[in-house]
Amino acid sequence: MPQDLFAQIDLPRVYRRRRFLNDVALSLTGVAVALAVIPLVWIVVYVFLKGMQNINLDFFIHLPQAMGTTGGGVTNAIQGSIVMVLVAVVVAIPIALLVAFYLLFHPQTLLGQILRFSTDLLAGVPSIVIGLFGYAILVVPFKHFSALAGGLVLAMIMLPIVIRSAEEMLKLVPKELREGALALGAPEWKTSLSVVLVAALEGIVTGVMLAIARATGETAPLLFTALGNEHYNVVAYVRQGISQHQSIFQILHKILAEPTDALPLTLWKYAQQPYPERVAQSWTVALVLMFFVLALNIGARSWLARKRRQTRG
Amino acid sequence: MRRFFLFSWVIVALLLTACGGQTPAATSTSTPEAQTGGKSITLNGAGATFPLPVYTEWNQMYRSVQPDVTINYQGIGSGGGQKAILDSTVDFAGSDSLLKDNQYTKMPDLQMLPMLAGAVVPIYNLPGVDKLVLDGPTMVDIFMANITNWNDPAIAKLNPGVSLPDAPIVVAHRSDGSGTTEIFTSYLGAVSEEWKNSVGVGKAIEWPADKNGQGIGGKGNPGVAQAVQATPNAIGYVELAYAKSNSIPFANLINAAGNEVTADAETMQDAMAAFANAFNERLTAKIMNAPGQKSWPIMGYTYLIIHMKENQNCDKTKALLEYASWAVSDPAAAQKAADLGYATLPNAVKELVMAKLQEVTCNGQKVLQ
Amino acid sequence: MQRSKGSTITPMLSSQLGNRNPSWRARMGRWLQHGDRIWRTALLVASLLTVLLVLMIAWEIWTGSTLSRHEFGWNFLLPWVESVWNPALDRFQAWPAIYGSLITSLIALALAVPFSVAIAIFLSELAPPVLRTPLNTMVEMLAAVPSVVYGLWGIYVFLPVVVTPIGRVLAASVGSVPGLSLLFAGPMPVSGTSRLAAALILTFMVTPTIASVSREVLQAIPRSQREASLALGATPWETVWKVLLPYGLSGILGAVILGFGRAIGETMAVTMVIGNVSGSGYSVLRPGYTMASIIANEFAEAVSDMHTSALIEIALILFVVTIILNVIARWLVASVNRKTMGS
Repeated sequence: MPQDLFAQIDLPRVYRRRRFLNDVALSLTGVAVALAVIPLVWIVVYVFLKGMQNINLDFFIHLPQAMGTTGGGVTNAIQGSIVMVLVAVVVAIPIALLVAFYLLFHPQTLLGQILRFSTDLLAGVPSIVIGLFGYAILVVPFKHFSALAGGLVLAMIMLPIVIRSAEEMLKLVPKELREGALALGAPEWKTSLSVVLVAALEGIVTGVMLAIARATGETAPLLFTALGNEHYNVVAYVRQGISQHQSIFQILHKILAEPTDALPLTLWKYAQQPYPERVAQSWTVALVLMFFVLALNIGARSWLARKRRQTRG
Repeated sequence: MRRFFLFSWVIVALLLTACGGQTPAATSTSTPEAQTGGKSITLNGAGATFPLPVYTEWNQMYRSVQPDVTINYQGIGSGGGQKAILDSTVDFAGSDSLLKDNQYTKMPDLQMLPMLAGAVVPIYNLPGVDKLVLDGPTMVDIFMANITNWNDPAIAKLNPGVSLPDAPIVVAHRSDGSGTTEIFTSYLGAVSEEWKNSVGVGKAIEWPADKNGQGIGGKGNPGVAQAVQATPNAIGYVELAYAKSNSIPFANLINAAGNEVTADAETMQDAMAAFANAFNERLTAKIMNAPGQKSWPIMGYTYLIIHMKENQNCDKTKALLEYASWAVSDPAAAQKAADLGYATLPNAVKELVMAKLQEVTCNGQKVLQ
Repeated sequence: MQRSKGSTITPMLSSQLGNRNPSWRARMGRWLQHGDRIWRTALLVASLLTVLLVLMIAWEIWTGSTLSRHEFGWNFLLPWVESVWNPALDRFQAWPAIYGSLITSLIALALAVPFSVAIAIFLSELAPPVLRTPLNTMVEMLAAVPSVVYGLWGIYVFLPVVVTPIGRVLAASVGSVPGLSLLFAGPMPVSGTSRLAAALILTFMVTPTIASVSREVLQAIPRSQREASLALGATPWETVWKVLLPYGLSGILGAVILGFGRAIGETMAVTMVIGNVSGSGYSVLRPGYTMASIIANEFAEAVSDMHTSALIEIALILFVVTIILNVIARWLVASVNRKTMGS
């Protein structure tokens, strides 16, 4: 029976068919890549064209106008985003680095395993759930929506991203480097901070850049924490503080305790408006936001790729 | 790398200094007001989107009245405003839905202050149709999903000569807890017992049209207006100001007296006149399905919710009360509201509000003298 | 922390006794002797803080949802056809939102998986080295575009241009076929606002996640596997299809699970295009809700305690799903690692 079957097969035809299948299937994978790139190009080009129509200096330095009137800008959202991301960076990065060092030193201990699982979990928890948590522990007890609450929630989003990338980068530092420093009599903390950390710094910075990009684009966790504020203006707060001889803490308190806007939050509000001026501005907000996020991403990734090639070579 | 960071900081610094030069706070050179002692005060409020267009205008205008007071009002829906003031996360709330008894029990010193009245209008998106007339029962049937197509005889009968499309009706409504929804559904409930009993009246209800897959939820008044704009063959309901300033067509209604009316200053005042003495001791009133000849049938007051007994920051309380009395009494503020399509309070009601403001205490002391 | 406190207190006590009056430099030196102790404590504290954060999230949403869990029990989750989500009556059942999350995520995965695997194959096996990095970056940028930007583009461009025509065709063709009509009953709102719109946008958002993890899985497969297959006369495609994919199957499954996690938690873009209504039946051409979008829409104004609690219970469901998906994904990836290590 098998012999019969074999005899009937026209061998060259089988080859042709296999080669044909090979060619078709492989080119289909190329088509898949092309198709995946289409939406990206579509979004980027469309947002760029629509956003550029309204971009001007006012957009960056003015507060929003009342609804239905032209002009005005979104400096409140730009400043709010900067403040909240800075808070997130200041809070998340030191903790994330310490955790990464802990994972480096104790990869297989129980706490290490729990920690790794918690980090994965934290990275996987939907950001809206983090926002809800932030409302419960940062807004309700202090009876205030604030830039600080928004920043801390963003810190929770950044934390797992930085931990993961920093751990990976710290692992790449040759063990000999650390051992050498320890052998010279340097204490562990000094070795870690001034030898291992410095050696891994570039990689860690790229990880931080990716985390900043992610945090800057987040909206959901800010809905219940930062609330929104068309009058948020750090520069005015600082000027006012100086003219009234307030201490730096009073000024800082003003900056952090007010509700604030953020670029994605503004975009979310403006996109769902009947006012054509607002919708037009929302494209410009999208352009600024996307440009910033994609630039950070591309910068970090190409840097990383170059670094990898160097280490390999 | 270090150079990169330096560069980005320089940009940030430049931007910040540039912003500082242009902001209203920095450019306002008027003399520091003695009333606030030169201290800058920010009042945070949140709630209804019904009065959002006029509140944002007022907040801008108020910068020239009181340069040291900033009012931040976020339109998150009446339900959101009520939650925020009950959680004490804001200084004041905006709502056009009335607080419930258990909420007064939870926080006895809450007070609703009427600020303005406004009309809710049925907006539609029918290409080629620029005048539409509806009456109460037809509206109920549309929102009940008993009428699901635009060429239904009931609609055609009211609109002779209008070519209505053979297309399913999409019902746009609010996805958040909304006082606009409460006003609109209480009108439908006033017109139809069936609506009142089977669907109900409230901030957030289950829309019958959703069950047929012909409902769309929009966030806030702006969201509903945007959804109707984007969806041909849709009908929705928003505050008049949103329809007016965006030229979204809205239907005329047959009112309780049987006359066809459109929503404008005259028909709103006519409706309010019919309910001039309707305010109860909580300072709330409804203006629903008014009987007047020219009355616009779907109207409601919008309120600020404040605390009557403050004990935290008396400067803040004072600033808030001053803002509220300015908003109620200032002629320019009233003009702005009228321009946008709101109806200002009758004088009798204004006096009630001003009297209520006088009663607010902070640490046991009356705040306004 | 406690230890470091102790180390600063000791010199203070001794100076009070008047025995010594250590100079600033000496004190600093003594403090630094304990540097490693402080350093290790700091590492431990930061690590415990991170674990504590996760525990606190779990605790907060568990206690926050008590009211709703007690009131509705399992009824909250069960797939009743006539589910109620009625804030006016304080009656809540999450099925419409759960269904919305499942159907949008599953459609997104069904569409994204073939694409993503194809992309992974192209990038790891076929692409010339020069193109590999830029193409990979472009695919990953699809994941970097902020969610709200997808939403904006969705509302004004993608829905009217792509989703509405697709919806019209689907409703006309399979909308009346018995059986399929449950899923494809039209008509779709002309704006395109629907579960299908959410599913299609989610497809773009999960494709890069699945593609990049799958690519890493394929690249981790030992060279010997490919060489053996090719040496036996298999075409490159046969090598991919019959050797590499089966070898990396569990890793690719892990990638799919990660994509599922991303899809089910996605909030903003979905909220902007799905229409936000509950109880609209099962058709994908109709507006609906997902678990994440119902929280985004209603949490800020949930005035009654029961409403708040019901929304927190939805957050609890999302959290539990995240845990389960994470455990499965870890297990799958670990099994690939074992296999790769073994060979």
